Amino acid sequence: MKYAFFPGCVSRGGCSELYPSAVAVAEKLGIELDELTSASCTGAGVLQEKDQRLGDTLNARTFAMAEQKGLPIMTICSTCQGVMSQANHRLTHDPSYLAEVNQELKPEGLEYRGTVTIKHLLWILMEEIGADNLRPLITRPLTGMRVAPFYGCYILRPSWALGLEEAPERETSLERVIELVGAEPVDFPGKSLCCGFPILTINEKNSLAMVARHTGDARERGADAMVTPCPLCHLNLDGYQPKAASTHGSKPDMPILHLPQLLGLAMGLSPRVLGLQRHIVSASRLLDKVKVRA
Amino acid sequence: MPLTADEQVLRHDVIVLGGGLAGMRAALEAARGGADVAVVSKVYPTRSHSAAAQGGINAAFSAEDSWEKHAFDTVKGSDYLGDQDAIEVLCREALQDIMELEHMGVIFNRNEDGRLALRPFGGAGFPRTCYVADITGQAILHVVWEQLVKARITCYAEWVATSLVVQDGRCRGLVALEMRSGKLHTLEAKAVVLATGGLGRIYEPSTNGLICTGDGMALAYRAGAALMDMEFTQFHPTTLYPSGVLITEGARGEGGYLLNSKGERFMATYASQRLELASRDVVSRAEQTEIEEGRGVNGCVLLDVRHLGKKVILTRLYQIYELAHDLAGVDLLEEPVPVRPGTHYQMGGVKTDVDGRTSMPGLYAAGECACVSVHGANRLGGNSLLETVVFGRRAGKAAAEEVRQVPFAGLSSAPGRDEHAHITELLQRGERGGLRSAVVRKEMGNAMREGAGVFRDSEGLAQTLETVRGLKGRYQKVAVQDKGGIFNTDLVSLLELGNMLDLAETMVVGGLARQESRGAHFRRDFPERDDINWLRHTLAFYTAEGPRLEYAPVTCVRWQPERRTY
Amino acid sequence: MQAHLRVRRFDPEEPAPQPRYQDYTVEAEDYFTVLDALIKIREEEDGTLAVRCSCRSSVCGSCAMRINGHATLACKTKLTDASKGRDVVLVEPMGNMPVVKDLVTDLQSFWDKVWAVEPFLQPQGPVPEQEYLASNESMVHLTGVMNCIMCGACVSDCTVLAVDPNFLAPAALAKAYRFVADPRDGASKERLRALSQYGGIWDCTRCLECVQVCPKDVAPMDRIMTLRDKAMQAGYTSTYGARHTIAFSELLKESGRLDELRLPVMTFGIFNLPRMLSLVPVGLRALVRGKMPPIFHRAIPGVEHIRRSFRSAEAKR
Repeated sequence: MKYAFFPGCVSRGGCSELYPSAVAVAEKLGIELDELTSASCTGAGVLQEKDQRLGDTLNARTFAMAEQKGLPIMTICSTCQGVMSQANHRLTHDPSYLAEVNQELKPEGLEYRGTVTIKHLLWILMEEIGADNLRPLITRPLTGMRVAPFYGCYILRPSWALGLEEAPERETSLERVIELVGAEPVDFPGKSLCCGFPILTINEKNSLAMVARHTGDARERGADAMVTPCPLCHLNLDGYQPKAASTHGSKPDMPILHLPQLLGLAMGLSPRVLGLQRHIVSASRLLDKVKVRA
Repeated sequence: MPLTADEQVLRHDVIVLGGGLAGMRAALEAARGGADVAVVSKVYPTRSHSAAAQGGINAAFSAEDSWEKHAFDTVKGSDYLGDQDAIEVLCREALQDIMELEHMGVIFNRNEDGRLALRPFGGAGFPRTCYVADITGQAILHVVWEQLVKARITCYAEWVATSLVVQDGRCRGLVALEMRSGKLHTLEAKAVVLATGGLGRIYEPSTNGLICTGDGMALAYRAGAALMDMEFTQFHPTTLYPSGVLITEGARGEGGYLLNSKGERFMATYASQRLELASRDVVSRAEQTEIEEGRGVNGCVLLDVRHLGKKVILTRLYQIYELAHDLAGVDLLEEPVPVRPGTHYQMGGVKTDVDGRTSMPGLYAAGECACVSVHGANRLGGNSLLETVVFGRRAGKAAAEEVRQVPFAGLSSAPGRDEHAHITELLQRGERGGLRSAVVRKEMGNAMREGAGVFRDSEGLAQTLETVRGLKGRYQKVAVQDKGGIFNTDLVSLLELGNMLDLAETMVVGGLARQESRGAHFRRDFPERDDINWLRHTLAFYTAEGPRLEYAPVTCVRWQPERRTY
Repeated sequence: MQAHLRVRRFDPEEPAPQPRYQDYTVEAEDYFTVLDALIKIREEEDGTLAVRCSCRSSVCGSCAMRINGHATLACKTKLTDASKGRDVVLVEPMGNMPVVKDLVTDLQSFWDKVWAVEPFLQPQGPVPEQEYLASNESMVHLTGVMNCIMCGACVSDCTVLAVDPNFLAPAALAKAYRFVADPRDGASKERLRALSQYGGIWDCTRCLECVQVCPKDVAPMDRIMTLRDKAMQAGYTSTYGARHTIAFSELLKESGRLDELRLPVMTFGIFNLPRMLSLVPVGLRALVRGKMPPIFHRAIPGVEHIRRSFRSAEAKR
């Protein structure tokens, strides 16, 4: 199983613990990663505010590179996944648009023919590897851990760009991963809502209110931790949890795990390799609970 | 006590009952005329059924066309029952009103040169229908609502009128139930404009929204105003099975075919010139004949637009593409959709002159609830939206002018208290398990479809009349399960049913009396038009024993009746 | 078929009104929508159930409610689809607004916000005798927004509104777009200025919820994004939102990827002391934990092609 790996910017930046944990987990899973080192940022939906066509052009460039390798793309970020899925949806549903965008790629000798599939690690786990192949790799079941799933908007919406009509099980894939690693999924209202990160610099008050609400709701329903397939959600839910807590009178005590960290823990990887020590909200109590030594 | 009566009387120079296109247009014009105006509507204005008009609005302005041609097509479409002086007003003023809508912001589709585009429509000699894809009604309704917002006109939304207040033969206001609070309000006005739309829910099924229960017509009728030509109900040729939801005439205007079970374009047999674009009564009868003679498909015929291509379907017919998908599970790009004739529009209504004046002083009417009469025995597609703006404007203007001379009568809140007593009594009727209003309504709807449908005869009409009268008796026993005051839709359904039963009776009585076939009223026992005896309007007046009929002459100025073929 | 519905009820006239759930079983035809089922319940089983509805064909906008947790039109939702993979169809009133009774909500704040964007054409200059000349493309484009039936579904599920009642929310902003994008409107610049303020276009989190739930494909968030672009083009670039977008694009153009350290600095401005200081505690915490982006930001290989695409896009605008 081989993928053109698109790690995204944040997994090597603000969430630098994500990249190594994803790589380590991929190795355990037997996924061979061929990193797209020349790929650009997807635009994250921000560039698209100014110029959607430009955003689609940058992504078409990335798709063309994967197409040249003859590989599907693996992402580890809900936002990258969503922005790329939306771009791919537009490009593959309008041949004349694709042709126009390809004009832009010509000088670099690239052309996108519209054949690339883009899958988040979360979907690869459930759809390509499968529960039956995953189960034997769970050497340290996280029994007793209660985990609230937090998807991030872009891996859920719009459903037509993300193939959720054809694969509705994607909407509950995090819960199934939580079950597979031996933990207990905690249902809570925020799981499909916005973390607030995109407006952090614009309207911090609202952004922090979202952090406080989601972490509070998860806590109220007995979660020991939250898990997210999106590093941007992680930046806000983890990085800004202390500030959110202080403005909303709560405690910053809800550890936020990246998806590969949750998997890695259950696969016996050390918390240090997974970069858990880098989190703003400490995960040590969580590790104690499942008797993992940091 | 769940329901209460407001001791305060609300006063406005002009009160418009109904927040659809005719009502809002009337309100705007009355406000421009200097009157203090309020709109009373049982739904928020944008929820009005004008939104469901899909195809377009007519005006003759292409080089080869003229208002006279539009008028002639309308007269012919009406099977010569339309009043030609009123039709002249409608067609002459069409362009001015459509231009005003455009200036307000309606996003009419355009030609290459940036001017308004036209599409062909049934019964019209030329393409003369302006359109906004297939959401024309919605696009106009919302823009007129925007103007209402801009003019800051008072709107009492989700207020259900229960009666008109008449003193010394003059309409002085109305009583309305505020659904949100369960409060009955007395509203005094120097003039009331009725614009409550159609009554399609009398039939089962119907293209009409569930709110189309003829309230204004019934209120006016019971208050003593004349109803006119109530036996003329239009059956639209293309409604979805089974819901009865409308599929626009624009589908045929754009070039869609009607096919029978053998795949034949059967309209060639019935209207060799205009085919699918004959007038609606002709097409509906043709379909019904095909179905009854065994060439239908599960009680329907097929509407096929596949040959128009993806681009036309997805840009100009997008709404019906969605409706066919959502409600019939049909992909219009891939397959034809089964359609059948369904109740769509009431040509008859509260009798008015060209300025909306009814037979009762102080009471005006416009739009579908009125009968001017511009549609006569059969309305042409694209003329109903036009009627709402032309005659809504004229009624609003006339009302504003009249109220300058009229003082308030100084109503007390007694009318509201009386209604409160009456409705409280209704509310106490029956308990859980009692007769439900929906049961009575469905029986009425089925009887009307069977006996007063596309084809009629004396036996069927008499049977239907008996049924309707029987249901009026049973109506007295209908139970209200919801005993509350706030947002009591159970109570509102009962009030609406009472309105519909009164109107159904006028429709059947009028139809039984009219021993000829004209436009949408087709009597199998009298299959010919009879201009000697029946080139006249039916008037219906309320009596406790049922409607009393009178007749009035038809105004024929330019065109004498001719044989009508398409 | 038999369908099971769990409906959230609320009777404001009870002594101590509390929402509760009531289960109904409906004998349904295959073609039934959720609205058909609710009407059947109301007509045959329980006349006290309050629901707004009229057209049954997704144009009047009356019957927006939450079905299985998401806002939609009951008349557009097939009962068979809503029941798929579930024991019971969950039917609840819209969110982000008070409930009047059962499935009937109070839309006053919805209308207030639509009114706040001055939802009417404001042409400038003398009114022409005939129609305003406009391209068919511009009108067809606006049809996509005029498709909005103001049902409230997008507002019900707006994630920003859930934390900030001041947000204008998707429907009103899409309505505003309808005028800004109308070639006949003369107040676009003033509209964009007003929309750039707190509560306006920059407060949207781009969560896509409104795009997902809109039953009429209006894609309100996409309209908000276009408004942002138009606002920046009109010169309203001093908001943090605009500065963030501009900085993001410039950094992307420079290196092909996101420079997380410079983005906030450029957004707030290095001399914006209060905001720069507000970053210090967060930055310190991150520094202590080693959760920091690299200080030396490297461009991607082939970045010159990214820059060329940017230049080419700029030239086209």
